Order: sequence, then C-alpha cells, then structure tokens
Amino acid sequence: MIYEPIWGAIIAWYLFLAGLGGGAFATAVFVRYRHPDCKRLMRVGRLIAPIVVIIGLCLLMFDAAAGFAHPLRFALLLTNFGSVMTWGVVFLAVFVVVALIVLVLDLMKREVPMWLDCVGLVMGLCVAIYTGCLLGVCQGFPLWNSALLPILFLVSAVSTGMAAVLLVGVFYAPDEFNEVVVMKKFHFWLPVIEFVLVAALLFITAFNPSPAGWESVMSLVAGNWAVAFWLLFVIVGLVLPTILECWMLWLAKHEFETSRTGQMISALSDAGVLVGGFMLRLLIVSAAVPITIVQPWML
Amino acid sequence: MARYGMLINTKKCIGCYACRTACQRQNDLLPDESFIRFEEREVGKYPNVTVEHIPLQCMHCEDAPCASVCPTGAAHMGSDGIVEVDHGRCIGCLYCMAACPYQVRTRNSKTGEVDKCRFCTLSSYENGTKMCSCVDACLTGARIFGDLDDSDSEISKEIARTGAAPIAGDLTRAKIYYVR
Repeated sequence: MIYEPIWGAIIAWYLFLAGLGGGAFATAVFVRYRHPDCKRLMRVGRLIAPIVVIIGLCLLMFDAAAGFAHPLRFALLLTNFGSVMTWGVVFLAVFVVVALIVLVLDLMKREVPMWLDCVGLVMGLCVAIYTGCLLGVCQGFPLWNSALLPILFLVSAVSTGMAAVLLVGVFYAPDEFNEVVVMKKFHFWLPVIEFVLVAALLFITAFNPSPAGWESVMSLVAGNWAVAFWLLFVIVGLVLPTILECWMLWLAKHEFETSRTGQMISALSDAGVLVGGFMLRLLIVSAAVPITIVQPWML
Repeated sequence: MARYGMLINTKKCIGCYACRTACQRQNDLLPDESFIRFEEREVGKYPNVTVEHIPLQCMHCEDAPCASVCPTGAAHMGSDGIVEVDHGRCIGCLYCMAACPYQVRTRNSKTGEVDKCRFCTLSSYENGTKMCSCVDACLTGARIFGDLDDSDSEISKEIARTGAAPIAGDLTRAKIYYVR
C-alpha cells in the first residue's frame, strides 16, 4: 500500500497561522513591556493576531468536510476533554475573543488592561503549544510522537509572529522599527534555538525503535522533501535570517542598520523566517511515516 | 457483557479479497472506500517461498486511540467492546485517522465522515447479517468471530490452540487476533 498523508497543506497552513497569531499577540505584549512608545508596532501585532487565527480557523472548518456540511456538529467539539483538539478549541476560542477585544480597545484609543494582555499572551502561547501537542499525541508517527515538537512549534510561533510584526512594521512604522532593538535581538536567537531543536528532533526520531522514524527523517534530509527541507526551511528559514540579522545587529554600523537599505535587509530576513515557519509545518505534517506502513508484521 | 473479537488465520488466507467485497456490499460503501486493507509479504527461503496475505481492519482496540482523540465523541467505545462511529457527530477532522496506528479508518469521499469496520453482525441490528459478512464470505474459513470472554467459544478455543495474537502485540490491546 502506498501511504497518503492524512493531513495536507491546508492543515499545515492552519498550524502555521495559529502559531503566527499567538506569536504576534505575544509580540504586541513584548512591545508594550519593553518598547512602550512604539504604539503603531503594538497595533500591528494586535491586528495580525486575530486576523490570521480567524483565517486559519476558516481553513480548518473548510477542511473538516463533514462539519462544514453540518455546522451544528462543531458545537460537539467541547465534549471530549481527553482530546488535545478539544483543548485547542478552548484555547483558540478564548484567544480569539481576547485578541478581538484588545484590538477594538486599541483602535478606539482606549487603554488595554494589563490583565487582558496577560490572558491573551498565555492563551496565544497555549495555542502555539497545542499545535505541537495535536500532532505529538499520535503514537503511530515517530516524527510527531515526541515532547520536542510542542516546544519547537512554540519557538517557531513566537519567531514567525515577531517576524510578521517586524515585516509589516518596516513599511507601516519605519521609525519605530529602528527603535525596537531589544526585540530584534531577542528575535535573532529564535531561529538559532529552532535549529538546535530541529536537529535534536531529527536525531532522536531517526533512532526510534520503528524504522518509520528513520524513514521519516530520511525523506526530509535526503528523500522526497530534501530540496524543500534544505533550501526553503534550513537556508531560507534559519540560516539566511541568522546571517542577515547578525550582520545588521552586531556588525553593521548604526547608520547603515537604520537606513532604508538596512531596513530592507531586515525585512528580507523576516520574510525568510515566515517562509521557514510555514515550511516547518508543511514538512512535519507531510513527511511523517506511520509505524505500521513500514513493516506491519514486524511490530 | 460480551467482549467480541475476531481471529484471522493468514495461513488459510489466499488473498482473494472476497471479504473486502462482501464488506463493501454489506455496508453500502462507495467504490473507493473499503474497511479491509491487504498487506502482502514474501515469507520463506528459496525455493520454498510463499506470499503471506494480511487483511487489516479496525482492531476494536480496548485502548482505542481514535476514541481518545476524537474531539466530538463521534468515535467511541460502544457496548460489548465494539469501537463505533456516530456519523451524526463526526465533523471529518480526521484526527482519529491520524491517531489510529493501523491506518484502517477511511473517509467517505461524499460525506467527509470517517468510517471503519463495524462488526456488522452486531452493530447493524435492523439489517445486520447473521454473521459478519467478511466471515461468511471467506472461502477458506480463515475468519472466526466470537466472544473472547467465553472460554467455550470457537474463537477462544482457536486462539488457545493456535497461539494467535494481535498484529502489534500489546499496542492498544487490539481484539483482532492473527494466526501467522
């Protein structure tokens, strides 16, 4: 039998957008805490967060064909609290409501209560972690069935969230973009951590007792997905942003860093992070091979 | 309470797919949907080589991963240890298909709902067959259905005689036993 992945690109988009939304909200809170004067950048984060998560949820509902045809069935999503997906629905629901309230308050130029920002931050991070747990509990897939995956998705979510805010910010609020140096330096380390986590995940998965672990890793590093993995994920998503940001933050002169050229180089790095973030979800979803396909009789 | 299960003797199975076709007719499945999947492999050493046919279907696991991940309660443990799908609750998120270690759940391409072996002799009370249609259809008698808790049942005796075991050992405590 030829194995067809159960989930495809739509779910990868959803996992990416949900993480990105949670990360964007976290970024807005970070800006408020560390760069309180950058109001426009804060607003960018608050704007991106609910919008992308809602787009992701629409994709999800469209992908769940039976529920799409009978929308009332979605109400049943809150019945099994042993399921990670049910918890995800709770986190997503609270997050979207909080993020929308925060956005409305911001647009009305009213003060957002600190506690509301905190609730949104925690829920946003929970959404990011849950996207990893969702795949992580599937014990038939060695590439998913690992406690590293939620952490990896969390780091990637915060990284893509910040990258999205910075990418929009460089055009919408270029002067504020130059001010948030602390945030940029924080953001610099995320792809580095991600690199370590991905390497660890692949090493441990390759040594899974089932050959499915080895097969999954090989399809990523040397098989069907190798070009996408090395080129779009590792080079564009991790190495390029690290090099460009290293140059901008530590090597380039301040005048160059804050010039329009410098800003565009940073924007390129942020775009790379976004490409890498999506590729990570797509690769993890698509390259996972289940244990019983490889050798159903060996188990 | 009974605890129903099935025994499949792969030494008797000739890979004719009669069980699969009978199941498709019994359960009114679309042509692209089937509850029984066949895996094949070569066994033995030249010149004494043969092909082993392994029909796989819902294992009606006691630790059913599909039921534990299903967010709506559509996949659930029914009575007598039979894992059931309540189609009226299924949203088609396919989480159960990702969680199933045996890849024996299918998706109805028309409705988007997930489906799988129902142990039809019991689960379709109104129009159910006298025996599971795959058992009836098997030309070589490779399949036995019955109560695993009843030590006098044909299946229990056959498991004891042949040493049949679930395909993946203790994984999920499956209730389909294989003679290999």
